[in-house]
Amino acid sequence: MADIARRAARRPARRSGRDRRKLTVLALGAVGLAAALSAAAWVAPDRAAAAAPTYIPADPGQIIATVPTRDRAELAARQALAAAPERVELAVELARGDIERYRALSDPRYLGRAQATLARWWRLAEPPPEVLLLRAGIEQSIHQFPEARSDLDQLTRIRPSDVQAHLTRAVVATITADYAAARDSCRALAALASPLVVATCEAPLDAIAGDARDAYAKLARLVGVARSADPGVRGWALTELAELAYMRGDTDAAAAHLAGALALDPDDAYARNLLADVLMATGHAGDASRLLAGREQIDSHLVRRAIAEHDLHGPAADALVAAMRDRIAAAAERGDRIHLREEARFALAVELDAARAVRLARDNWSVQKELADARLLAEAAVAAGDRAAAVPVIAWARATGVRDATLDRWLARLEAR
Amino acid sequence: MRAALAGLALCASWLAAAPAHAHKPSDAHLRLAVDGGAITGRLDVAVRDLDGALGLDGDGDGRITWGELSAAAPRIADYLAARLAIGADGAPCAQHLGSAALVELSDGAYWAVPVSASCARPPRSLDVAYSLLFDVDSLHRGLVHAAGQTTIVRDARPVRIALDQPTSVLSFVREGVWHIWIGLDHILFLTCLILPAVFQRRTQRWAAADSLRDVCREVFEIVTAFTLAHSITLVISAIGLIALPSRLIETAIALSVVVAALNNLLRTVDARWAVAFALGLLHGFGFSSVLIDLGLPSHELIGALLGFNLGVELGQAAIVAVLLPVLFGIRRTVAYQALLWAGSGGVALIATLWSYQRWVA
Repeated sequence: MADIARRAARRPARRSGRDRRKLTVLALGAVGLAAALSAAAWVAPDRAAAAAPTYIPADPGQIIATVPTRDRAELAARQALAAAPERVELAVELARGDIERYRALSDPRYLGRAQATLARWWRLAEPPPEVLLLRAGIEQSIHQFPEARSDLDQLTRIRPSDVQAHLTRAVVATITADYAAARDSCRALAALASPLVVATCEAPLDAIAGDARDAYAKLARLVGVARSADPGVRGWALTELAELAYMRGDTDAAAAHLAGALALDPDDAYARNLLADVLMATGHAGDASRLLAGREQIDSHLVRRAIAEHDLHGPAADALVAAMRDRIAAAAERGDRIHLREEARFALAVELDAARAVRLARDNWSVQKELADARLLAEAAVAAGDRAAAVPVIAWARATGVRDATLDRWLARLEAR
Repeated sequence: MRAALAGLALCASWLAAAPAHAHKPSDAHLRLAVDGGAITGRLDVAVRDLDGALGLDGDGDGRITWGELSAAAPRIADYLAARLAIGADGAPCAQHLGSAALVELSDGAYWAVPVSASCARPPRSLDVAYSLLFDVDSLHRGLVHAAGQTTIVRDARPVRIALDQPTSVLSFVREGVWHIWIGLDHILFLTCLILPAVFQRRTQRWAAADSLRDVCREVFEIVTAFTLAHSITLVISAIGLIALPSRLIETAIALSVVVAALNNLLRTVDARWAVAFALGLLHGFGFSSVLIDLGLPSHELIGALLGFNLGVELGQAAIVAVLLPVLFGIRRTVAYQALLWAGSGGVALIATLWSYQRWVA
């Protein structure tokens, strides 16, 4: 009896001794494994270049990429140019086709293709006038404004009656805040183009000079009269009209004009962005998001939809924000700085990084000085509580005498500090 | 690995976000990894861009099918081979492009080609002559990802990429850890020596060890002897006191693995720490040749040596830390007996084969 009791008393003691050793061994193993794994994570990453996984389609009929259909004329022109690379008229025709595609699709690949087609003349100080015009258009699109300006100055000198040259020069000069030069080009158009074109050219200049009300009335009257104008010109005029209405704070009129412009050309990315901005500014982020849905391949649409969904806490917000971050990283990786405006907006509205937004908006202001750029820098400065950052915009507003509902609001908040 | 996973996550969220492909300027990615004189990697070029250069849309319907693409594969291969050349330190390397697959990036499908190049000696800098697509798209950029940095190629002029020479002590520690982990011969040598430690001779027979402390002490002795030995030869060989032909060293290291494995089967020497020391001397010579391949900076020789050696010790400590508890846990089981006998036998065989190969090669 006593023996059994003694054995029973001893057994758990022995087992607990063995258990303890098992535990020690297990713990040692776990610690060792954890240490080895973390060390592996530390040692290994440089070894493998990170790359997405590859695949091989099973079906030969699977569509891998869609490209513009080749029309016979273009193919023939390309072959002819390959046979005689000095034929500038062929190169201009082909480059013009790619620039059209760029305008219709907002796909920057076609800009690069147009430039490559003109490579033979690209570095010439005085290329043929047709090349000068296309070169300036491409430079403008990739935000090389000084280069575009110099080409357009040269072109308007040698071809004083080129409507497109004067129009583009007016636009580039306005973007870089050289309003006198822009005014000259608009005036030169008076003898060359319709009153609607001239008025649309001059309207933003009048508005920046502080005369948005008269400029709006004048342009609205002409748009009403010239109902049969070329749809491109009409769409442009309607967009300018919307800008003027928005400056005065008349967001309903702005939205109506932009809807008109989009009815004429649904692929007008500029008008669509502006309408989305108006909708977001008036608390209609849901409408803005719907307006841009399915068009996220264009960065300027994606950033606005990401901001709208982010503000709404919509179901797509996370994915859109991730996609935009991806695009910003991809642009930075290839050394592009043409998305400063979009990046600054994104930093301000989504990343909530006001300091970064100020930096980007200031860099952007040094490249382009449109009203939208001024609003952005002022807004970022307010968010960052950094009045000094907005000094260039304050100075610009004083010098021009511009009155803009949105900008005035931000500047007032800066002054109130 | 972490980076690769992050990439996958991004892809997934991207697919969820937008079915349409991004409109972005044309980029191609060339990822290169350098290991000794061997360069491996992948070149990703957008299918749309290849169409611009080569006209892949055979029937001109605006849709490029996998059939059209595979039919054009030889033309694409010729195009890429003619416009990409990888060199090292001013001399060309023998380059080979493998067979392509597809990869889906944010702006559509890319043609992904494995790239390899073998260079006469381990490069200090890479020369990449990349002239794809610039003649059809002036805004095209070649992005070369190598040595932890991205180099943007903007035109057909060759670029030179300085490789990140391991210069800090920490980077040598890292190299040391890495080397012991990928060096199967060092791992097997150590494993063979440690295997019998959980089984101890008691007067006339062998039995499973009872005390974890005793086992740890024995393993500690073995590892310390090995460390001491290879540190000695690593130093005298790295500073150039003794230089032995690498064929001889590599063969001898393989033979040392044979000896360690046979010792488990024949039980000739009980004091395995002595085996660890004697044969560990050989392994030190092997480590030093790795260190010399890395480009040993003469001005910080001491730091590099210490760092590398420390890395080797950490690497082997990690191996022991995983191995020892497992062995101790299974020491009474059949699995352990199988591992001891069959494992040692297998290692002896493999290492014999290595010795032959290394001597003949």
